[in-house]
Amino acid sequence: MVDLTKLREMAKEVISREDVRELIGYRPGTYGFRVRPAFVTGPDDADDLVFTPACVNNLASYIVLEEKLPVKRGEEPDLRKVAVMVKGCDSRALLQQMEEKAYPRERILVLGIPCTGVVDMAKVQARFPDVLEVGEIALEGEKLVLSAGGTKEEVPKEELLADKCTRCRYPTPLVYDELLDAEVERFADDDYADVAEMEKRSAADKWAYWEEKFNRCIRCYSCRNVCPMCYCEDCVLLRLQPQWMRRSVDLSENTAYHISRAYHLAGRCIQCGECQRVCPVDIPLMELNRKFSKDVLELYDYEPGTDVENPPLLSTFKVEDREDFIM
Amino acid sequence: MAVKKLSKEKLGEALGELSKFRLIAPAKSDDVVVFKQIGDAGEAFLGYGNSTVPPKKFAFPQTETLFRFVVGNPELNEKNVEEEGTTVIFGLRPCDARAMAIVDKLFSWDFEDPYYLKRRELTTLVGMACVEPPSVNCFCASVGGNPFGTEGLDMLLTDMGDYYLVQELTDKGKKLAETLSAQLEDAAADDEKKAEQMALDAKGKIRRSIDTAGIPEKLPDLWENELWKKVSAACLGCGICTYLCPTCHCFDIQDEVEEMGEGRRCRMWDSCMFGEYTVHASGHNPRPTRKERTRNRINHKYSYYPEHFEVIACVGCGRCINLCPVNIDILDILDQVVDAS
Ligand code: SF4
Ligand code: SF4
Ligand code: SF4
Ligand code: SF4
Ligand code: SF4
Repeated sequence: MVDLTKLREMAKEVISREDVRELIGYRPGTYGFRVRPAFVTGPDDADDLVFTPACVNNLASYIVLEEKLPVKRGEEPDLRKVAVMVKGCDSRALLQQMEEKAYPRERILVLGIPCTGVVDMAKVQARFPDVLEVGEIALEGEKLVLSAGGTKEEVPKEELLADKCTRCRYPTPLVYDELLDAEVERFADDDYADVAEMEKRSAADKWAYWEEKFNRCIRCYSCRNVCPMCYCEDCVLLRLQPQWMRRSVDLSENTAYHISRAYHLAGRCIQCGECQRVCPVDIPLMELNRKFSKDVLELYDYEPGTDVENPPLLSTFKVEDREDFIM
Repeated sequence: MAVKKLSKEKLGEALGELSKFRLIAPAKSDDVVVFKQIGDAGEAFLGYGNSTVPPKKFAFPQTETLFRFVVGNPELNEKNVEEEGTTVIFGLRPCDARAMAIVDKLFSWDFEDPYYLKRRELTTLVGMACVEPPSVNCFCASVGGNPFGTEGLDMLLTDMGDYYLVQELTDKGKKLAETLSAQLEDAAADDEKKAEQMALDAKGKIRRSIDTAGIPEKLPDLWENELWKKVSAACLGCGICTYLCPTCHCFDIQDEVEEMGEGRRCRMWDSCMFGEYTVHASGHNPRPTRKERTRNRINHKYSYYPEHFEVIACVGCGRCINLCPVNIDILDILDQVVDAS
């Protein structure tokens, strides 16, 4: 468990540094067990920072989500660092962004959090739908302790754990400037059994399955906006001339959207699960992403966001690259 | 207007009767509750809290073809809403019905929107009272609604245990009751009294609130306040809070090519939370960041709408709070508006 006093002290020290502009972390939410992103710009804001198993958001997204206004005449751009708290999985997003040269390494200060797993907030919500008071989730041994408004409940960890955490390969961040706690040993592994299961199904069966899901997509694009790897300045979805993707919402366009996005993330998706987490209509997007992830691993022995020296998969070519699966 | 009752045993039969119209009811898609057209009464799912997606698209479709065209041919193949036929939206919550009444004001304001208004004319709304407020984030009672509210509805059903109490509220509701005359029975003498008590109880169970007095007048003075930067810092700029808001009604109009030389002009939902929402042809964007966009979302609901239509354009359904992926909470924002100086 991350020591909160230590976390806040360290945050105060970091935000007081002259070369740091902002620190992105977590703070308690407005109701129930939710936690929300915190944007700290001065030492006083650091007092409510937390890290608990409720800290689900991948804050690496904010590094590429920032909207930069044109610098006014006579002013210099603010090139100070942004400090960001990342769990193991989230750190892969930073690595992949840097592999892709989204920004130079020295522009960020990485506060790594060795992580023992976060909850699936939908499961928490389903189990405790009536909690309004701001509560807290803590991990005690193999149990999650949820306390709010004077009451306490213990739930075995595996019942509320996020899916991605049950197969986490990198609980300790792969990149950091400061580590907030002792390294965590890998406690799970990923055999892609779920993908193998899906691969066995017939094409017609798979189509019926996805048809139901894609039909209810409202194209809110939250899955795109939250994704730390969806940061193209000129997104294919927004182009009107030519219009690559229609704005109309129907099964055909929704399917086109999801296929395009999955392909644009092939070899880039770092499996943080944020896209699926945010979807208001529960579309299991990770099933698509994990299929690509498995293929990329099996065909090219490549795992995005694990080695900053490794160039992005789709911008390299080796003579010995496999191509027997191409028609 | 008359008050009747519908025994739960006859619900399927009643829905069957209503399916001679275009019948829209809550249904499950996996575990997500959405409103959709029901063919068979068994598809309706009434054990829901509130639907994830509000039924607004049946008045204001997410994508609507206005007309089709063939290049070089001056004739347009215009949409005829009439063809969609008489529609019954069954089982919507009072807040969602009230939202439609609020949005009606916009679509019949300076321009009478023929598509929307025709569709509304053809639609009968049958509400389901919230005996238990479905979410901790419901706050309808703070913004002029209530769990048994009837505004916008033609008929209200209240779950009384073995039966529904059925209140006719408008002529459309009365006509619908006539259609269901074989299924409806007379209500017991004390049923209405019981329902009144249930309504009071339900209102008492609403857990979140905001005192809106003064907010519409105060908002314009807070235009440059630093609170906007703070409350929007975490925003992803997605469309969840607006697409799933029953009162949000922004749209864009685009042409889509269907086949070579043929296309359609359609109107589709838009969202003020999107970056491209106000991009001018020059490339300039008067709302360049999420700060300005969040400020617009709140001002539209709590300032501009009250200014023009004397009603807050938020019905307190709580969806934007429940579903925002980063816990941006409209009541938290409004609290800050109240506290700001
Ligand atoms: S978040 Fe869900 S509903 Fe929104 S665009 Fe993505 S898949 Fe569709
Ligand atoms: S596609 Fe989903 S899982 Fe992959 S990086 Fe983006 S948000 Fe994370
Ligand atoms: S407030 Fe929340 S739901 Fe709305 S655009 Fe921002 S992130 Fe999306
Ligand atoms: S603003 Fe939020 S609470 Fe108000 S009507 Fe819209 S979704 Fe519901
Ligand atoms: S906001 Fe009110 S009317 Fe709407 S679902 Fe909640 S209790 Fe019912």
